[in-house]
Amino acid sequence: MDLDKKLEILADSAKYDASCASSGSDRGGAGGTGSAQLSGVCHSWTADGRCISLLKILMTNECVYDCAYCINRRSNDSPKAILTPDEIAGLTFEFYKRNYIEGLFLSSGITVSADRTMELMLEAVRKLRQQFRFNGYVHMKVIPGADQALIDQAGLWADRVSVNIELPTDKSLRLLAPGKTKQTVLGPMNRLAQKISASKDERRAIKSSPAYAPAGQSTQLIIGATPETDREIIKLSEALYDKMRLKRVYYSAFVPVVADSRLPALLDPPLLREHRLYQADWLLRFYGFTADELLDEKHPALDLSFDPKTVWALNNLHLFPLEVNKAPYEELLRVPGIGVTSARRILRARRAGPLKLDDLKKLGVVMKRAVYFVTAGGKYGGIKKETEEAIKIKLLEHKNPNGQLSLFSEKELVKEGLAGTVNGQL
Amino acid sequence: MRTFLYNGSFEGFLTALSLALEGGEGCAISKEEGAEAGLFTEFVNSGTDPVKAAAARRLVERRGSEESWHYVRFAFLSEVPGAETAILEYVKLLALKGPLADNMLAEDRVRKVHGLASSVGGEAHMFKGFVRFKELADKTLYSKIEPDHNILALLAPHFRARLGTFNWVLHDARRNNAALYFGGRLVYAPLSSARLLEDAKEAEVRELWKHFFKTAAIQERLNPKLQRKNVPLKYRKNLTEFD
Repeated sequence: MDLDKKLEILADSAKYDASCASSGSDRGGAGGTGSAQLSGVCHSWTADGRCISLLKILMTNECVYDCAYCINRRSNDSPKAILTPDEIAGLTFEFYKRNYIEGLFLSSGITVSADRTMELMLEAVRKLRQQFRFNGYVHMKVIPGADQALIDQAGLWADRVSVNIELPTDKSLRLLAPGKTKQTVLGPMNRLAQKISASKDERRAIKSSPAYAPAGQSTQLIIGATPETDREIIKLSEALYDKMRLKRVYYSAFVPVVADSRLPALLDPPLLREHRLYQADWLLRFYGFTADELLDEKHPALDLSFDPKTVWALNNLHLFPLEVNKAPYEELLRVPGIGVTSARRILRARRAGPLKLDDLKKLGVVMKRAVYFVTAGGKYGGIKKETEEAIKIKLLEHKNPNGQLSLFSEKELVKEGLAGTVNGQL
Repeated sequence: MRTFLYNGSFEGFLTALSLALEGGEGCAISKEEGAEAGLFTEFVNSGTDPVKAAAARRLVERRGSEESWHYVRFAFLSEVPGAETAILEYVKLLALKGPLADNMLAEDRVRKVHGLASSVGGEAHMFKGFVRFKELADKTLYSKIEPDHNILALLAPHFRARLGTFNWVLHDARRNNAALYFGGRLVYAPLSSARLLEDAKEAEVRELWKHFFKTAAIQERLNPKLQRKNVPLKYRKNLTEFD
């Protein structure tokens, strides 16, 4: 099989992994080729609007497992391919020097055994680092079930490491991924978390100690293949951020790539739900929200019509309107229409003098949302009786000038939602 | 109304800036070529005076801050019509208010220059991703770019750090200018056209990349609108994968 065909098969099999980031690492200098930037760099965007930053491929799509949701499952008799470590390292280097990519994202199905797979992947990345003296970004999947000594090596060569949880509960794992258990997934994840944190401590004490996965660890959850609620998913993410110190949790709307009676019959991947989960995830990481504030037992699903911050604000109208000239940063962040950047701008601009309502738009505040929740110098620009229902109707008018809620199909919301700001990137 | 003309260089602009600051109300700054004559416009040739240019820089850094100087530099690189006069108004405000001026984010004179600077910084960041090199027969890497803003000098250090083991050329075909990196030295030189002899392997790697790019899209998620937002059409003609 020629390289072109192999690349097609192995890129096709890898693309359902949502992770694309090349951020969080700052390497370079000292001879060799390549560097990495803390912010990460996107090099292109595919026709689905997702960013390409790394050469995202599987080493092989052969797999000993038969996970129901996975395109690479053993019982799927699509063509199989395997790349040698030399091919992987060579291809990465050729793409990198032309500035097509920021580095390599290497995952794999499990060929022969977890250990054998991990060894081959490590060899590819080691070749890239040592033979090609490559200083660019490497994201490496860790194969659940591989020997601890092999797992430990991953972080020595890679900037970022990850183990995909895929299914949010043990029950779902048992149903759809008979070869895996919560323990085989969380075990290596925990081990990596310890290694990363130990290396950070060492480097604080002795700067020259080697970095271990300096861009940290991430994971992915598949959305909509199993019945977990948004609340279960967001609670899990919160725990992963707090306890495992993960850098990112990715959410991947389930695309039924293989037919299986255990899987739901979905017409379209739940893109809007995925989008709302990313918004909620952002609120956890950058806006100081807790999962319990966003969703409770009675309301376990994210609202599809409104973003989760707006829903929270509507449920907490007694805290609003907020005076933008006095409110602290943490409270400004909780206003719909105010983001991290505009909150910082408000703080800075306040030092030069009091702000008027008209000024807020110039600072980047989205006033069509924020207007119901703020005052400036005591002035309020919203509506007279700001009840939850009244504000909802106003907000929806903005989305749909005809004012007819029934015309509001999910498809339009998807369009509106996904043309917005938050998705799997960065 | 007086318009101070300069030769297009940054030093020339700073000289004009210095003169215009002394010139009182109603002054403008413009490049010599393309300056628009109004009925009552009086043109003044600013020339290039290193002493005056240094004085303008000192004023920005002392009355403002390092940060203010960054905004002036980047806004100048925007090459947006009217940017020079916007910088003049901004520097006048700095002279009046001191470093506090950069906090006045709702003030139009500040917003304009901060905005231009961030547009230049944004495009420079995007091009760290959008530059596409091809390998030539002599193993030099060559890339043609046509950015809106004059970002060559912002990009070159990035590629020196990244591809320092290669020789490379970054060619701004819109401005007929190039950053050339040969044998560890970085120089800038005018370059209008380049005759390129591709390396034998080049076409093959390019096809691999295009194939990879096509394969990586998930059909069930097609979203050309989002793709267009992230890769504006104007940038696509120099992007290998959009050929």
